[in-house]
Amino acid sequence: MAASLVRTCVLTTRRTLQFLRPISFALQESHDSKRSYHRRQKGFLREMYKKRIDIGPDKPRRRSEWINWNYDCEIFSFGQRLGENFDEGSLRQAFVHRSYVEQEKEKRAELGIDLESVPLELDDNSDLANSGDKLMKDYLKVYLRNIYPYMFEECISSVCDHLMMDETLSHIASHLGCEDLILCQDFPVQPSVLSVTFKAVVGALEQAQGKERAEAFVRDFVLPQLIGKDLNEMWPLHNPMGLLVALLSLTGRGQPEPRLLWKSGSNTMMSLYWVGIYSNKQLISKAPGETVLIAEEMAAREAVKKVMRTEDNRPPLVLGTVAERLELDRDRVNASAEDIVRRHYEQSSGQSDSITSS
Amino acid sequence: MSNNAIPRDFVKNVLQNGVGRYVCQLKRITFRFCKSHGGSRHMRDFIENNLLEFTQKNPGVVCYLQPRRHRPPSVVAEFLNGRREVMLLSGKEVPEICKWVEHMRTRSGVQIVNMIQNNHTETPSTQGIWHPFMFRDSEMAATEFPSKKFSQIQVTGKTATDLVLEEQLKVSSSESSDSHIEGK
Repeated sequence: MAASLVRTCVLTTRRTLQFLRPISFALQESHDSKRSYHRRQKGFLREMYKKRIDIGPDKPRRRSEWINWNYDCEIFSFGQRLGENFDEGSLRQAFVHRSYVEQEKEKRAELGIDLESVPLELDDNSDLANSGDKLMKDYLKVYLRNIYPYMFEECISSVCDHLMMDETLSHIASHLGCEDLILCQDFPVQPSVLSVTFKAVVGALEQAQGKERAEAFVRDFVLPQLIGKDLNEMWPLHNPMGLLVALLSLTGRGQPEPRLLWKSGSNTMMSLYWVGIYSNKQLISKAPGETVLIAEEMAAREAVKKVMRTEDNRPPLVLGTVAERLELDRDRVNASAEDIVRRHYEQSSGQSDSITSS
Repeated sequence: MSNNAIPRDFVKNVLQNGVGRYVCQLKRITFRFCKSHGGSRHMRDFIENNLLEFTQKNPGVVCYLQPRRHRPPSVVAEFLNGRREVMLLSGKEVPEICKWVEHMRTRSGVQIVNMIQNNHTETPSTQGIWHPFMFRDSEMAATEFPSKKFSQIQVTGKTATDLVLEEQLKVSSSESSDSHIEGK
């Protein structure tokens, strides 16, 4: 009994002491693993804890402010890590953001240094980023058109836009170790700056090793971001039934007929309807929804998905070593949904005209 | 410790590494040691004999040496996902230091936690998840219940009774043929 009482006392005091431990101490890694603090330290630690709460957390600092930092080594290793031979000059330029150059100019102006007599030999990465941006967009579209030959051009553009978003590119750039190397004014580094830098790195690679190698880089690091994502959701399709009607009439099949397949709990909050779309008495697609209208729209979306061959059980993307042997048709252009709808309306209006004239 | 206080997680891959090409996730490693203290003896041996080979083999990892007076040896690993790990190496001999460095090099940088599952897939089901209407006949939507058709027992394949009856038939036919031979 007594022993257990003592044990609980010791445990509770240890816990409270852990709580009282100052954050500044907790941030530093302690090398001697201490199990307890002496009673005399209690007041000191409590004071430190209060002070830390008053001051607040430390400001985030750049990695380059620490002593173990060598920019030359870091730049060299960046290329080696990714398995690419960059041209050192252009790679260095790729990490210089425009804001940094402006900041340096301002600093010089403040110090009273004349920029004309002592020029600032520092180019920013906007040119490289522009060329990288163009290469990435072109290649992503060519790749997607060849991998998904039945996908509409609008959908391909939206998938490409999703990949070229600042959010996606900054995620890739920060996970390739660009964040520490970037020279820019703001800290923490903004996603837009990170994405510009990633584009500039692609541009620098294109300069150093040619287009093919830069495209392989894009394929290996940007395209895997599509894994596990729904391509169809990236395309904001507002009237799927209209597109489906146009598609079916142009291919000479019957008009789509939505039919209620199953329903459950129709008068409850958890109502469920399954609507199937038939054409020529053949079931094209079916989908669930909370109301009949939602289910019908979802079924139409499902049908468009089937037309584009981007169902959930589609084969995976061709990536990695297999993708090196891919023969891409660069001039390929897929069918455009807008074009299909326009053709359908032209046809139908032509027919109605002939009916009225006759 | 209660069970929900122990961190648990699924297997994670950083940036789909290895789908396109493999990138070593260790970006920076700092060896911290004392130049004179006996505690850092093995770390100094490691730096003298093994570090050069490590750097030549892994040009993508930046190595830093950080001497600190009378402080125990440790190694700081920084990963591409932004995590930083410190490992204390006091009392570790050279082969063990080599092993820990190798451990850091081959890691993904994700915190080591208890695994909920040892496997992971981005596509859990290619057929789509099961729902109560999956194998139901759509004819049922337009049927008045109770209906004779849907109240019948579904028979798929042979039942045990059918099998026993078949066996009985086989036995009886073989018996009759035997008796036929005997009669001859």
